[in-house]
Amino acid sequence: MTMALEGACRPMARCVQRPGLKRINLQIRTFTTSNASRQEVTDITSTSSPPLPANPFRSPESSAAVVHKPQSERRLIAQHGIYPIGSRRRRAAIASTPSIPFHQLPYQCFQEARKVLQQDRVEKVAEIAEQRRRMEKVQTSLAQSQSTGDEPSVKQLERRLRDMRQHLEELKILADINDPLVRKKFEDGLGDMNKPIYRHLADKKWRSYKRKVLVQRITQMNVVPDILPHIDPTIAVSLSFGRKDIPHGGLVLSTLSEDAPSLNIQPFDRGERLVTIAVINPDVPNVAKDGFGYRCHFLASNISISPTQTRVDLASLDPESQVILPWLPAFAQKGLDYQRMGVFVLQQGSISEEETSTSTTEEQSSPANLPVQEILSAARYSKRENFVLRSFVDKYSLHPVGVDLFRTQWDEGTAGVMRRAGIPGWDVEFKRKRIYPLPYRRLKEERYR
Amino acid sequence: MQPPSMALLRAFSPLWKAPIRPSIFSGLLQTHQPQQHTADFSSTAPRCKRKKGKRTDMRITNIRYHLFHPMTPRPLRWSRNRHLRHWTIHRAWQLYQHNLRHKRDEELQKQYFSMYNACEALRNIDNYGLTAEDRTAMGEPPSEGKETGRLYRIAMLKRGMWNGPPIEYARIQTDTPPRNGWNHQWTR
Repeated sequence: MTMALEGACRPMARCVQRPGLKRINLQIRTFTTSNASRQEVTDITSTSSPPLPANPFRSPESSAAVVHKPQSERRLIAQHGIYPIGSRRRRAAIASTPSIPFHQLPYQCFQEARKVLQQDRVEKVAEIAEQRRRMEKVQTSLAQSQSTGDEPSVKQLERRLRDMRQHLEELKILADINDPLVRKKFEDGLGDMNKPIYRHLADKKWRSYKRKVLVQRITQMNVVPDILPHIDPTIAVSLSFGRKDIPHGGLVLSTLSEDAPSLNIQPFDRGERLVTIAVINPDVPNVAKDGFGYRCHFLASNISISPTQTRVDLASLDPESQVILPWLPAFAQKGLDYQRMGVFVLQQGSISEEETSTSTTEEQSSPANLPVQEILSAARYSKRENFVLRSFVDKYSLHPVGVDLFRTQWDEGTAGVMRRAGIPGWDVEFKRKRIYPLPYRRLKEERYR
Repeated sequence: MQPPSMALLRAFSPLWKAPIRPSIFSGLLQTHQPQQHTADFSSTAPRCKRKKGKRTDMRITNIRYHLFHPMTPRPLRWSRNRHLRHWTIHRAWQLYQHNLRHKRDEELQKQYFSMYNACEALRNIDNYGLTAEDRTAMGEPPSEGKETGRLYRIAMLKRGMWNGPPIEYARIQTDTPPRNGWNHQWTR
């Protein structure tokens, strides 16, 4: 215990021993050690400017708590008649506290707690190594039974290996979840999404509120049974037109949605994957049928997504190998209600982990890349009107993993948007069919039954 | 710790109105009564701006009463580092408690299984302490009748278990007396 306290006090003691130490990084956030550039900038300004007192903004009253040099104490007493508060050691400690890194702050209980957590982390890291060793063993025996062709034991070992991998992932998260610096970094938005702990925290945060809102919107507005039968979002999708972020299900001005939006697609599990993005309008009026049909406003495939590579600008995709149907502005003709625009992110290939054992991946080696040119040449999915996403998903064995929604309405800009895009019908107004009331006076022989 | 008396608080509380004696306060009571807000059946908020007159919402009164009650602890207002430090300590404490619980569970599990194994061994042996395998190995004839597992059956009857002192007070029977005799100073 005493050792830890001494260790914690050491920087403070250093400050006490070296009274000439200049405290230049006062304005710097105390424990973001990664941000070196700001520190450099402050250093340069402090050397170039004329020497200032320790803190020019400090009033003599408040500096009574922090002066710790005999000279400055004397100056304070002579000039302002204020006596310093507390012992010199205490004042030095208070003055130097901002320069102590967070994990060395000299609080006894805090240091004890850190010791407990560090001990636990060491244990967890050892457990991870142990688990890896065990997995290697299982893998070797799996390879053996594969070579001998023992089918039941292969299956059992594969299941075992999958469970072990899951446990390993849990351990990786448990090793870091109690670290206050990890927590702080995540709260600041500086977390590295390549690390499992930050992915886990981001996933928890998303599921705690945003995903609930999203699921509520897509079920209340019936996007889910209307366009696709069911979806369980595991990837966070957010939509923005230019600089404007659109909340899930928000009404978007037609002038704003004239240009293609950009998507932020944030997966929470490791590895790259290819996705297909489809924007479907399920509220296209069909006058002949007296009903509604679908229209595809955008369709692109083979878009590479990873936890760190999340931004997808729908306007800047490759027209040769990715875009099937380019962006068509969202519009709703005059007299119609608002129209829903469902944005779907569909994962290509198998949804299971990419690290599953070699035999299963060979078996399931469905082509992850969609044949864009083939789709374009065939008429089925290259026309916008009556594009049925259900059949597209079934045909190319896609897995819906992310969804977003926005709505569009007739507004003053819609006519211009439609004219510029060359869409007919900008001068058409939809009206309800007048239902004439029954004649007031009924004939004698007509009776209610 | 004894909580402070609520009698004084109740005297000034807007909720628990002391019955006003009708002697000298009768005039006051008359002017006071029409202002009292009666709870209506609609759950929508009253339009205070449109409907003139002072209206008090009982729900808000209740919330305020309990929120600013002197016995309600003040909210924790901490700086970020202070909060992080608190969080660290909290997590360490939770972890410690978890480990403790885990250890106890393991201990209990071990005890349970050792008991189980003991019972299983008792069930398999006969009066000579031999199992069926032992007998065949020694070339003895198999034990007859109820000889096998007799001790187990007796143990499972638990006869006289509740007659003596409680089982918590029991001492494990040993061949020799304990090294330091009876502890006369022991109290619960």
